[in-house]
Amino acid sequence: MKKLILVLSTLAVVLAACSGGESSSSEGDGGGDSTQTLTAWAWNINIPVMEEAAERFAEENPGFELDIREQGTPDVYEQITTGLQAQGDGLPDIMLIEDDRVQGYLNNFSDAFLALDDYGFAEDHSDKFPEFKNELLSLDGSTYGMPFDAGPGGVFYRTDLFEEAGINADEIETWDDFIEAGHVLRDELDVAMTGIDINNDDGVYRMMLNQQETFYFDEEDNINLTSDESIRAMEVVQTLDEEGLNENLVGWDAWLAGLADGEVATAPSGAWLTGSLTEQAPDLEGKWGVFPLPAFEEGGNRAANLGGSNFMINADTENPDLAYEFMEFFSTSEDVQLTAMEGGLFPSLNTIYDEEAFTESVAYFGDQQIWDMFAGMMDEIPPANYTGDYSIARDEAETAQSEVAEGNDVQEALENAEDRLSNRINN
Amino acid sequence: MMKQTKAPYFFIAPAVILFLIFTAYPIIASLYLSFHQKEDGAYTFAGLSNYTRLLNDSIFWTALSNTFIIFILQVPLMLMLAIILASVLNSQLLKLKALFRVSFFLPAVTSLVAYSLLFSIMMQNNGLFNELLGYIGIDGIPWLSDSVWAKFSIVMAMTWRWVGYNMIIFLAGLQNIPEEMYEAAAIDGAGKIRQFFSITVPSLKPIILFAGILSTIGTLQLFDEPFNLTGGGPGNSTMTLGLYIYENGFEYFDFSYGSAVAYVVVVLVAILSYGQFKFTGDKS
Repeated sequence: MKKLILVLSTLAVVLAACSGGESSSSEGDGGGDSTQTLTAWAWNINIPVMEEAAERFAEENPGFELDIREQGTPDVYEQITTGLQAQGDGLPDIMLIEDDRVQGYLNNFSDAFLALDDYGFAEDHSDKFPEFKNELLSLDGSTYGMPFDAGPGGVFYRTDLFEEAGINADEIETWDDFIEAGHVLRDELDVAMTGIDINNDDGVYRMMLNQQETFYFDEEDNINLTSDESIRAMEVVQTLDEEGLNENLVGWDAWLAGLADGEVATAPSGAWLTGSLTEQAPDLEGKWGVFPLPAFEEGGNRAANLGGSNFMINADTENPDLAYEFMEFFSTSEDVQLTAMEGGLFPSLNTIYDEEAFTESVAYFGDQQIWDMFAGMMDEIPPANYTGDYSIARDEAETAQSEVAEGNDVQEALENAEDRLSNRINN
Repeated sequence: MMKQTKAPYFFIAPAVILFLIFTAYPIIASLYLSFHQKEDGAYTFAGLSNYTRLLNDSIFWTALSNTFIIFILQVPLMLMLAIILASVLNSQLLKLKALFRVSFFLPAVTSLVAYSLLFSIMMQNNGLFNELLGYIGIDGIPWLSDSVWAKFSIVMAMTWRWVGYNMIIFLAGLQNIPEEMYEAAAIDGAGKIRQFFSITVPSLKPIILFAGILSTIGTLQLFDEPFNLTGGGPGNSTMTLGLYIYENGFEYFDFSYGSAVAYVVVVLVAILSYGQFKFTGDKS
């Protein structure tokens, strides 16, 4: 008995010591004399922009400090999810969250993010951002985040290969034209048109849904995988794959490598691909160009979005006013957003689109004014209804894409995906 | 006297406390979670609903069967390779033993991400593997994009990574087999192969059991290779229980359901380990 008491008391002492240490350190993070310090989690090229913004903000707000923890994107999400699951324990004041994660978090952890309505963000600033971003960041009429970069979509293509094969990019107006050009490219140069990762990435299909003003779900949150638009979009992917125009490059690195070594001639993607291309394939300078996504019929909508990110504020932050003020400054300051642009991000703040940086011709893209082209698309991009079940829907859409590539009927594959999805959501 | 009886508890306290916090607590918490469901941000008791949901979940059954297919292919293949390598490396005739041992063991300590990345690049349709096969006249194999080959690729990658580790365990076991047994066998006219099957394998039985159980547990929790190499695809053909647990928690925010799947893994590990004990263990 004595022994047992001893063990338990030892335990209690050590546990108390542990928890004591924890609480004192968390005070150091948020409270005490550091009322002017905010913490943030972000990744990659976003970090320098945030640092620059913090410096500028500190000029007006002496003593302000931003404590950024840099991590890989998947790590940030794992930790945000863990923190949300633990009722907000350990989360920073400010979180960078990509478009396709926003609604999942909002729907599953509704009280975790600061509603910006009390601060009037929507009234003051919504006209400075594209409609699709404003919708993405709201739930039941409240706004929960501030838009940062966007991914207006286009087709990145190798101008030299197109020329060699005798293809005129200006004449590619529909997806049928695109497929036809793919055949020419295959026949003339034996190069693949696209490098879609059939089993793991439905990004091109998603852009095609978006450009046709639909998505996995319709506006009433009903599953919409078997719509005419969806079937048409999936048929394009099937044709590309079946007719040997697609090189199935598995994973992000293989895809970039394929673009860099000329195995693949085009990449329908978001504007952010610019940064990766210039970084991974610097020797291809002057050999790339961009044209808008093909439409489904001549004169149809050619604007869609893929990717992009946003900032959301922790509802439990000890300093909501400061966090809001800083993020409002970050999101609407033209200087800050121009810095982001220099880093290769495409800002969604539309008040800067008439700046010089947007009309510049870009040497890497053969002096094409690509930013001007992307900026012109922003107002045309239809909103997409992600819902809280986006991840499951994407999983099923990708399964359908695999089946379709193996030769299954498009309609049937999408119907099966719709059934499975509805089963999974209603469970 | 009193002091001496206290001392041991202080010594084991750090280990016990760490165990309680990082092992016992999560085990109990996930058991609790598996009987609950999140509604409007709060967990409510849900009885067995997470477990009954498993019965009708085709992805769960696919993951279960994938896990077993990989388990049945991979564990025997890897253990056999490991024993053979260990015997060869234990041979008196071989030079540069240390070099070989280190080379075979290196994959086990290589950074997981780096190794997955290299494998995925080599396994592309135009990757190194297919290029080499091309030289001997074999057409390209869709390593990662075909549902059957993708499983095989996972098996290959796992085997590459863990053979060396098991080899070291077997090497240690081989040190305990008295040299006289081999001498006696040689005098009786047994060749190397006969010696391997009649002396080495039976003497290593407890070690094989140990390595077998470790590998069984590892395979049932398989996560790294499918996560990094195939993402569970094509379709769900390389979805494993480990990956499904992760996806439920971190992609679909359904930690309760993920916990229920995790408990299925726990039960399976217990059953399989018990079976292996019965099957290969000593009667005593």
